Amino acid sequence: MTLSQLLSTAFVQHAFYAVTAVALAAGAVGYFVVLRSQSFAAHAIGHVGFAGAAGAVWLGVSPIFGLLVFCLGAGLLIGWGGAALDESDTVVGVTLTAALGLGVLFISLYSGYANATYSILFGQILGVTSGDVATVTILSVSVLVVLSLVYRPLLFVSVDAQGAEARGLSIRGMSLLFMGLLALTTVVAIQIVGVLLVFALLVAPAAAAESTTSRPLHAAALSMGVALFSAWLGLFLGVWIGGPVSFWITALAATSYLVARTLARSARGRPARRPA
Amino acid sequence: MSVLEMSGGAVRLGGRTVWRDANFRLESGTITAVLGPNGSGKSTLLRATLGLVPLSEGTLRVFGEEPRRGSRDVGYMAQSRVADSMSSLTGRDYVGLGFDGPRFGWGRDRTKATVVREVLRLTGTTHFADRPISSLSGGQRQRIALAHATVFQPGLLLLDEPLAALDMGAQAEIVDLVNLISDRTGAAVVVVAHDLNPLAPIVDHVLWIARGQVRSGSVEDVVNEATLSDLYGHPIEIVMTARGRRVIVGLEEELAHPHPHGSDHSHDHDHEHDHEYGHGHGHGHESDDEAHRGETPRADR
Repeated sequence: MTLSQLLSTAFVQHAFYAVTAVALAAGAVGYFVVLRSQSFAAHAIGHVGFAGAAGAVWLGVSPIFGLLVFCLGAGLLIGWGGAALDESDTVVGVTLTAALGLGVLFISLYSGYANATYSILFGQILGVTSGDVATVTILSVSVLVVLSLVYRPLLFVSVDAQGAEARGLSIRGMSLLFMGLLALTTVVAIQIVGVLLVFALLVAPAAAAESTTSRPLHAAALSMGVALFSAWLGLFLGVWIGGPVSFWITALAATSYLVARTLARSARGRPARRPA
Repeated sequence: MSVLEMSGGAVRLGGRTVWRDANFRLESGTITAVLGPNGSGKSTLLRATLGLVPLSEGTLRVFGEEPRRGSRDVGYMAQSRVADSMSSLTGRDYVGLGFDGPRFGWGRDRTKATVVREVLRLTGTTHFADRPISSLSGGQRQRIALAHATVFQPGLLLLDEPLAALDMGAQAEIVDLVNLISDRTGAAVVVVAHDLNPLAPIVDHVLWIARGQVRSGSVEDVVNEATLSDLYGHPIEIVMTARGRRVIVGLEEELAHPHPHGSDHSHDHDHEHDHEYGHGHGHGHESDDEAHRGETPRADR
């Protein structure tokens, strides 16, 4: 099969739509993850998803249901318990380990095909069905719409929680809302890159963007762009050269971050600003 | 109608009375300093005014009404934390959040740019407003924070420790700016501080909170030996230096063994003060100033 024939097959087409939706949602939500220094929470929710997916596989239902239940549950728990950003690490850690333990239990109970576990952990982008594409697209678009509606208050509460509280915003409410969005994004991202690598798509593009610009909207847009670039190019390289697509995507996202950091550092190295 | 009026006010947090019998009345265009030891409930007073903490006794009226959260007519500047997250914004963006940050939805308010431009001009921040906050000096950051709190030209402006962690030059700049804002907008300003001296030139009124009590009056009424000795229950001396700075002697013991009554340590809002206990200096004590000087350099200055 030639490359152009490969690219026009149904499974590559499905993968293309799915990574597009996921990259946009992950890039946008990731900006707030980085801004709120909640990478650990993002990481944890992904791993909690492992328990959910393993449980669903054991029960014989689609992993996405287990992912939804566990990721949302963990997100809300972390959002509630860790509303004050500085207390959140412990809450996240406890949630994470409890869920990983459950995941191990489910895996041991499930005596079937180990491939299911593998695809939860590392993603299975080229196995995405048209039904998966629909689910992933609906969830991603919902996340993006909600995020655009709460963008300003979320930014306010993320940079100045006390000031935002004084102006009538609920710190805990916003925290719950954001962790809900993060959980949904994690669920869709796990479909593509798997539990272990979801972090790369959520955090690396956003961190790259955030180190390059001080304008929130620019940073969020740039983060979405970097995620999209990594996802598209990763998919293309996976199909063209071979190797797991999730490897390519994560490698590209990480490289983008390194490049952005290097650029930002050399920009900062320019002659210092005149002291005011 | 007074801007802020408290009668017989008390606050309990976590089953403990933070302060009680607070009686005072603040008018438009006046500047009030809130002084007292760490953990005495100074920030709590601001939070009560914002409607974030209910009174357990007495009444509090803001523009004649019950305090309510989210009022545009009350500007608030939280105690400065140079949050990493805030550093990744420009000053103008942060001031803009004061305008429409609390609003959900897609709509844009066309007046925003004008309103923000005006408050940047008022606070003298225009020329660095488009730089990332992370690149600004401590004084510049506080000016931006003041612009943020003043964006609606509120009738009441609550400032929590705006002078903390600033060098003397920057302190004087911020004091001048607070005075200017009060003059231009007619706002009643309440400033929580741990040292009266830098504020003394502009202050009309003092609220001194210690050991669960609140004393209110002019600087002379409150910051005198009789009142403070009565408040603390032991002799307090006030020494005036040649340059008119007040040095308060006799609080050392109070600070080394803080009186449990009226402490609101359980309340996380005040926890950042705690390290100051370790110095064992009095509030308003000159050496208190000096002790902090070395701790607060801004790397980017």
